[in-house]
Amino acid sequence: MSDTKKFTDSEKLLGEVLREEPDFFLSDRFAETVANKMARRFAWNQYIREFFIYLAAIFGIAALSAGIALIWLDVNWQAWWSFLLYNVSWVAGLNILVVFILFVDRVLLRYFSYKLSQH
Amino acid sequence: MEDSQLVQQVLNGNSNAFRFLVSKYQRLVVHVVGRIVQQQDEVEDICQEVFIKVFKTLNKFRNESKLSTWIATIAYNTAITHLRKKSRRGELSYSEEPKLIGMEADPAPNQKAVETEEIKRHLLKLIETLPVHYRTVLTLYHLEEFSYREIVEITGMPEGTIKSYLNRARMMLKGKIDKIARLEQTNIFADYV
Repeated sequence: MSDTKKFTDSEKLLGEVLREEPDFFLSDRFAETVANKMARRFAWNQYIREFFIYLAAIFGIAALSAGIALIWLDVNWQAWWSFLLYNVSWVAGLNILVVFILFVDRVLLRYFSYKLSQH
Repeated sequence: MEDSQLVQQVLNGNSNAFRFLVSKYQRLVVHVVGRIVQQQDEVEDICQEVFIKVFKTLNKFRNESKLSTWIATIAYNTAITHLRKKSRRGELSYSEEPKLIGMEADPAPNQKAVETEEIKRHLLKLIETLPVHYRTVLTLYHLEEFSYREIVEITGMPEGTIKSYLNRARMMLKGKIDKIARLEQTNIFADYV
């Protein structure tokens, strides 16, 4: 009888111990910190995606315009091609500048202002 | 709020929804990670890593299982990977196969430790000395109240192995309780009448 009671008691004690929380904890602001980090990441990804959409749209419009000009307006493409080759550094520099300005405007500035607004 | 709605809100970029998700499941994650890693200074970083993975892969969550099971799987895998990396670096000895801990290796309970709370604390410490798989399944089954099927999903272990680990871990701990009772030669269960 006593053994049966001891068995039940030790089972009960074991059950209680196994349901006790271990001594590991997270800081009080853990959820806040992680959520802010993820929100920044989400914002960055969103801005980058938008930037590429803008870039694709600009290149698309440029390509479409060039196509229309060459096919319907009968533009002398060889003259244009030699102009581009002759001024390759200017053309490349201008393109890089435009892309950079677009990147700063659409991604960096927005990201930093978002980051500042979080503090 | 239903978990599926919560997931959708997070996927739409609602940071408050993600904060809510983290608050809701941080207890589960810290228990799983803590019991596996056992280093308080590493626990927070690993938990952050878990939630970053949750956020990154949330679009793959298909509601086929419970969100808690899915998050626990990520927590378990992240913590085990961390432990394996530490083991490879030689910082600790980690074995896939659990070893039985001998009774002799236990710290002897203090002669005066007859109070139930002290025994509980002693047993909690003993749980931490169990092999990693034992304490993981104990935590998932008893503390987080996952079913066997869910533990299979989380750990990838066969159901038979889980049952065997649970049984052996409980037997070990019960053995310790009986040993304490014998050592004290007193009724330590007085509070349990």
